[in-house]
Amino acid sequence: MIVYLAITAAVAALAIACLFAEEKPTRQATAAMVVVPLLLRLFLIK
Amino acid sequence: MKRRYATAILFLALALAAGAVAGASFLSMREPEPIARGPGVSEIRKLSDWFPGLAGGPGDTEVYVLRGEAPGGSMLVLGGTHPNEPAGFLAAVLLVENARVSSGALYVIPRANASAFTHNDPQEAAPQRLHIRTPWGERVFRYGSRATNPLHQWPDPDVYIHASSGQRLSGNETRNLNRGYPGRPDGKLTERVCYGITQLIRKEAVGIAIDLHEASPEYPVNMAVVAHPRAMPVASQVVMGLEMEDIAMRLEPSPVNLRGLTHRELGDHTETLAVLMESPNASQGRLRGRTDEALALTGKDGWYVKAQKLGRLFVPYGEKGHPIEERVGRHLAGIAEFAAAFTREYPDRPLGIEGMPSFEELGEGGLGAFLRRP
Repeated sequence: MIVYLAITAAVAALAIACLFAEEKPTRQATAAMVVVPLLLRLFLIK
Repeated sequence: MKRRYATAILFLALALAAGAVAGASFLSMREPEPIARGPGVSEIRKLSDWFPGLAGGPGDTEVYVLRGEAPGGSMLVLGGTHPNEPAGFLAAVLLVENARVSSGALYVIPRANASAFTHNDPQEAAPQRLHIRTPWGERVFRYGSRATNPLHQWPDPDVYIHASSGQRLSGNETRNLNRGYPGRPDGKLTERVCYGITQLIRKEAVGIAIDLHEASPEYPVNMAVVAHPRAMPVASQVVMGLEMEDIAMRLEPSPVNLRGLTHRELGDHTETLAVLMESPNASQGRLRGRTDEALALTGKDGWYVKAQKLGRLFVPYGEKGHPIEERVGRHLAGIAEFAAAFTREYPDRPLGIEGMPSFEELGEGGLGAFLRRP
C-alpha cells in the first residue's frame, strides 16, 4: 500500500509540474483535471 | 511567463476546490443512515460478536435480533449484500422497524456488506442516495456499490480463486460478498465478513437464511427464489403461497457449479436452509436509459418497455415499471411465506413473525408509511 501511495504521490507531483510547465491554458486545465482523482486517492477518500 | 504561472495557480486552485467538493461528497457516504429501533427489536448486536476478527473494521455491521416470548425456530435475513440493489436493504429496514416475533428468533442484517455502502460503482451514473417521503418528513438511504470499497480491500487479483472450491472468477469478484461464502477467518475483508455471517448461522443454529437481492430485468434469474436442495421443500411451498397471492415467483435450484453464493455455500457448510430472493431492478440493468434516483425508485424506463416488446426480458415490463414498493413488497411477502412454510415443515420449531407490511399495504400506502422516525 505504501508503494502504491508513493507512486500516486509521484504522479500527482508530475501532473502539477506539467500544469506549471505548459504554455497553453487548455493543456493547463487538462493537467489540473488529472490532479483531482490523484489527490482523492492519495488521501484515501475515493 | 507571469501569465502562465497565474493561470496555472488559478487552475490548481480550481482543481483543489473541485477535489474538496467531491471529497466531501464521497466522505459523506461513510456515514451510515440511521435505522429506527422497531417495537420487536430485543437487542442490537455487531457481527463481530460472532467473529471478533471484524471488530472495529469497515466490515463490522449491526445485527438486529428480534426474539419471541415463545421458543421456536430462527431465521436470518440478509439485506445489503449488494447495496446497489435497494429493495433488499429497504426490506430489511422495514423488517427491523415493524416486525414483531411471537415465537422463535429473527436476526436481520440490513447492511451485510457495510463497506460496499461507502462508495458507488464507477462509470455507472448511479445515484448516491434515495430519498423517501414519510408522513413526518424524509428518510435518506445510501445507494452503494455491488462490491466492497477498494479502499478497504485492495488490490484485486487478476483472477479470483474461491478458497474452498478453487472456482476461478474475474478478479473484482474478490470483493463481491456473494462470491466469498463460507468465508475464511484469515482471508480478505470480504471473506472475513462471509465467515462472520457463517459463524452467526452456526452458533445460533439458524434454521433458515434468506439473502435479499435484485437483478436486472434482462437477467434470467429474476422474480425468483433460488434454493439450496435441502431448502426446496420449504421454498416450493413459498412459491405456491406467493402465486396464490398473485405474486409471480419462480423457483430455481441452486447451481452446483456456481460457488461462493449464499444459497449454495451456507446450505453446504451449515445446517441452515439457504435461499436467495430476486426482484427486478432497472437501475442496475445494461439496457437502462437515464440513470437516476427516480429510476431506482420507480423502475420506469422506456428502453425496458421497448426491450419487453422485443422479447428480450425475463420479467414483464410495462409503462408503470417496477416501483420500489412492489419490489420490497415481494421480499416481505416472501419472508412471511418462508416463516409460515418453515413452521409447517418443522412444527417443533415454529417461527411467528407479525407486523410486517403486506404487499397490498405497501402498494397502497407507499414505503414511507412504514418507515419510523429514527
